[in-house]
Amino acid sequence: MLIRYDTLQIGDAMPIYTSAPITRTHLVRYAGASGDFNPLHHDDSFAKTIGMNNVIAHGMLIMGIAGEAITAWIDNKYLRKFSVHFLSMTEPVNLNDYENTKDRATIIVSGRISKKYEENGEKRIHCDIVAQDALGSRKLSGFFIAALP
Amino acid sequence: MADQSKIGMEFPLCSIVVEKNKIAEFAAAIAQQEDTACIKPLYREKQAAENAGYVNIPVPPTFSGCFVHWTGGGLLSITQALHADMSKLLHSEEEYEYFSPVCAGDVITRKIKVVDMYERGKKGKKGWHAQVTVLETELINQKGELVIRARTTFVEK
Repeated sequence: MLIRYDTLQIGDAMPIYTSAPITRTHLVRYAGASGDFNPLHHDDSFAKTIGMNNVIAHGMLIMGIAGEAITAWIDNKYLRKFSVHFLSMTEPVNLNDYENTKDRATIIVSGRISKKYEENGEKRIHCDIVAQDALGSRKLSGFFIAALP
Repeated sequence: MADQSKIGMEFPLCSIVVEKNKIAEFAAAIAQQEDTACIKPLYREKQAAENAGYVNIPVPPTFSGCFVHWTGGGLLSITQALHADMSKLLHSEEEYEYFSPVCAGDVITRKIKVVDMYERGKKGKKGWHAQVTVLETELINQKGELVIRARTTFVEK
């Protein structure tokens, strides 16, 4: 899957990546892996004390999923920068109401190359990315820069 | 509300060994896999990593948070030192600059500094006024090389 600089053009899209619907178990797994145990991400009773109906996903899990989307296309070692703004919160799927809540918890990552340039003796691409749920609500937007062979 | 006199504040240095199983656990979490046997070979087999040009199993691009959360009391000790209210904090931006791969077996020292604090919007306008805090984390490996620089922006409403 080696991607070469010369084969890419400005305007090219990166392959679209679609996550599994995020469950509360995914949030617990991410909490344990990352060490971010903010109860807002796993404890509904805590979420209610601050006026929210449900726990929400870690923004960094959404960025991690976006990172999976990128590295499914371009190897980690070519990344030079990865930058995002978080735009909205993501509620996990309710397993007792799966059909009505799976779309809000499904993350779709897409991106498009906006620049090609040489810097520090490297051939680099700048790719704008966006992650949105299956209802079209944007979760994060940003870009990555990769140096390619 | 965060205290603006904290601009420039540096937190105590903390070091941690990058463990192979922690990389696999993190890779499983972001790939939404139930079992680390199902993640990419790159994140679980040294041979696969070597074949891909790394000295050992590399970390995923967003692994850096682990160096903050698992050392020095984690994010809570940072927000407490800044007198920020954790229940009102939102993570608004995250950026990584990558200088060199981070792999299993590396010893990473994290150096966190408050690089900016400012107020955004007008007081009294609900949902708009916020205190913004920007942290910069430099991750330095056992050879003294800067491997990743992270910038994390929080807003406190």
